[in-house]
Amino acid sequence: MLELRRVTKAFAGVPAIDAVDLTIHDDEYLTLLGPSGSGKSTLLRLIAGLEVCDSGTISLDGEDITYSPTHLRNLGFVQQSYGLFPHMNVFDNVAFGLRHRTHNPIEDSSEVDRRVKAMLDLVGLSELGQRMVGQLSGGQKQRVSLARTLVTEPKVCLLDEPLGALDANLRERMTVELRKIREALGVTFMHVTGNEDEALAMGDRMIVLDHGRLLQVAPPDMVYREPDNVAVARFVNAYNILEGRVSDGAFLQDDARLPAAGAPDGKGYYAIRHDAATIHHGSEPPEGAVALPATFVTEEFLGSRFFYFLRLDDGTVFEVERHLSREDPIHLEAGTRCMVSWDPRNALHFGADGNRIGAPAMKGAA
Amino acid sequence: MQNNGFLRTALGLYTALFIIFLYGPFVVMGILSFQAGPEGGPQFPIIEWSTYWYRHVFGLTPPSRVAPLPIGEALLRSLTLAFATMVVSTVLGTLTAQGFRRNFRGSGPVFYLVVLGMMVPGVLLGLGMALVADQLDIARTWWGTAFVLHVVYTFPFAFLVMLAIFNRFDKSVEEAAWALGVSPGRTFRKITFPMIFPGVLSAMLFAFTLSYDEFPRTLFTGGSEVTMPIAIYGTFAVEIHPNIFAFGVLTTLFSFALLSTYGILMAMSVRRAKFAAVQEDIE
Amino acid sequence: MADQTVPAVGTAGPARRQSGFFARHSTWLLLAPGIVWMVLFLVVPLGMMVYVSFWTQTTFSISSDLTLQSWITFFSSETYFGALLRTLKIWIIVLALTFVIGYPTALFIGQFVRDKTVQTILLVTCVIPFWTSFLIRVLAWRPMLGLEGAINIVLLRLGIISEPIEVLLFTELSVVIGMVQIYVVFMVGPIAFMLARIDESLIEAARDLGASTWTIFRKIIFPLSLPGVVVGAIFVSVMVLGEFATASALSGRKVNLLGNIIVTQVGSLKWAFAAVIGVVLTVIMAIVIGGLLRVVNLRREL
Repeated sequence: MLELRRVTKAFAGVPAIDAVDLTIHDDEYLTLLGPSGSGKSTLLRLIAGLEVCDSGTISLDGEDITYSPTHLRNLGFVQQSYGLFPHMNVFDNVAFGLRHRTHNPIEDSSEVDRRVKAMLDLVGLSELGQRMVGQLSGGQKQRVSLARTLVTEPKVCLLDEPLGALDANLRERMTVELRKIREALGVTFMHVTGNEDEALAMGDRMIVLDHGRLLQVAPPDMVYREPDNVAVARFVNAYNILEGRVSDGAFLQDDARLPAAGAPDGKGYYAIRHDAATIHHGSEPPEGAVALPATFVTEEFLGSRFFYFLRLDDGTVFEVERHLSREDPIHLEAGTRCMVSWDPRNALHFGADGNRIGAPAMKGAA
Repeated sequence: MQNNGFLRTALGLYTALFIIFLYGPFVVMGILSFQAGPEGGPQFPIIEWSTYWYRHVFGLTPPSRVAPLPIGEALLRSLTLAFATMVVSTVLGTLTAQGFRRNFRGSGPVFYLVVLGMMVPGVLLGLGMALVADQLDIARTWWGTAFVLHVVYTFPFAFLVMLAIFNRFDKSVEEAAWALGVSPGRTFRKITFPMIFPGVLSAMLFAFTLSYDEFPRTLFTGGSEVTMPIAIYGTFAVEIHPNIFAFGVLTTLFSFALLSTYGILMAMSVRRAKFAAVQEDIE
Repeated sequence: MADQTVPAVGTAGPARRQSGFFARHSTWLLLAPGIVWMVLFLVVPLGMMVYVSFWTQTTFSISSDLTLQSWITFFSSETYFGALLRTLKIWIIVLALTFVIGYPTALFIGQFVRDKTVQTILLVTCVIPFWTSFLIRVLAWRPMLGLEGAINIVLLRLGIISEPIEVLLFTELSVVIGMVQIYVVFMVGPIAFMLARIDESLIEAARDLGASTWTIFRKIIFPLSLPGVVVGAIFVSVMVLGEFATASALSGRKVNLLGNIIVTQVGSLKWAFAAVIGVVLTVIMAIVIGGLLRVVNLRREL
């Protein structure tokens, strides 16, 4: 179990990580989502010991490692740029940690041989052991980098945007493989990414980070369905977010009053998921639904689903997602006037501070 | 710019002339080294082609009015000194450049303190050191007072070469090794050093050459046991003979041998360098 | 230069005191040997030189009683002051000539040769002479410049002159010729390096906008090569200002530079005089290098 308590780090006076509390369990896949500049790489480097925090503590299985040097932490670190040793072949890259680590180096070469071969098998590189790393493709380098780390059996393996440099196809394949490899070894993965789909798809739990603060730590479906903060809702990129004022239990959007029971008066945000809204053209919104007039702009086809882009009368872009498995697609001319509607029970309300109304206060983040 | 044909031709011709200007004295020196001896002087015309002066350099000619160059021991001293200087300044240069990989307060003054070593003219440094030695009653020797000044002179070159190498060095490779549980010291030996080796070689080459040819600093601090350049400087005072030219040709050949050795060593590490380059390209 | 994400050392709070190899100590431990060496063998000798320049010099001995006598002698003596002016004159001439002669070559290598291999070969060709001892290279000019030297012979044969040119050897001219040939490469190298780094698309863009070759040179190429010029100028200045060997070999001891005087004074054990001249030279050097470094940040150009 890896625990971070009030970990804080600033660069030249600018806070990068601000009093972060986090507990990472054994044998879990944790994803860390944040936009660039949110401090996600810094957080990873702090845990790895490549940066030193200004205050706070980091402990691994009860042992304080806040100021331990990287090589004594027994944490794996897979970099986005791979950081392979260019003067060695694949086998020696993978064997490097086993042979040369300070703690418990393996002198017996047949033992090194056995472990490296097993690991190369696991990541599907058994044929390439004698290749120099300069002759590998991006995906193969990624695997070498991963194998090299995993063969040392770290307690926690930190992955810094591991799929960032791969093309879309490979990315998808590696997504599946990463999960499989992790489950086979039972090692904890902490996977940093700027891609919301990746974060949602891969993690057992998901962390959302912005401006050096944890916004939410929860299973991905929770983050997706009930983002604790309007910023989280933005990052998962699945919500229409209206910005406006709440008055007398209603969110004011142009002339319309959208029910917002429980939301305090004042500035607020109103969010509705893309797939929770429907477009009405020539039909009436169902009883009890909230509806707003809109102008159709364009559509985008993504294989199994359609995205429709509309513009509300105040200019806000409004997206509607429709799964073909549920409904047939509709086709509208650009400029067509129509209505968008949704069940008000599906709407989320956020206060002036951006926190969701009714969300549990952000505590220990365990 | 490079599409201008006329300008290109003109500059090309100019460059050819420039190279003739650089090499002219050498060619003349080479020709005159085959002057007849011992009566032939260091000027035209060539009385008769001969290898007399080459044999003279090696002491293979009967004694004549031209004294043999005092090179035997001087050459040995110069090579020893250059080798020691090379080792020390490359180590210092690598250590200091390694220190500079991290930003730190006071990096500016330290940088200029080191670079000052190559900026201060040799004659000043030689003078200063001679004064210090004189006051402290330290004997001036080529392996003592001269050696430390040689390092002062060559260490900045080695430092700058290593700094340039480290600036292009991918730090993530080292971080990867640390994260695998390998100590920084071992990481430096097993990862960093092999990767920067071509740079270290250049730094060594720089240091060796500069020290081997160094002379104003040595002049004041080398004491009575002279190095090669001091021995040559000694011939300035008296009449010069073609033996010095023959010796010049020989040292040039020796330098080429050294350069070739360097080239071969580079070629041997080029395999690593090439893979490093591919690695960088992909990133 | 160093990794941006690495914290500036010195902001360390008490909590960081035990932070292993990330602590500031590692940096200073790495730097210590170099700093100690430079302080002991560079700063101390230079300081000593300043100190000794105020000592009392008599014909036969020197004592550490402080006096300005050596300084007064220096500035009131025609010989010494003349040497100062001559040193500055030769420095300016050599600097200007190395620039004028070296720049076109650098321009050709850096801008007109686009093949990296050819570029390297040309640069190595320029550097090869350095593999021969500096002193021998200086001496090699004697049979070139003398009355019966190669230049006179060639010119006579070609019928360009009817009498051998006398001023070629053992004059200031011969010193200048020798120095330019020896030091011009220090100008060519840095300039060619900077020129080769210029992004070609920049020049293409300018050409597309209709700029003439001269305008492109004046507005783009020359300004971008300026750091190379400055670095080259620093190299040449440092070497020429401290020169004495070329002058004594090619002028027949007729042209005395400050460096020559230092050698003579040390030879006759006039330490204080030598030190005064050393300090004067140091001050000139500091002004020249300081001025040049204002134009370009040496650290950033690496």
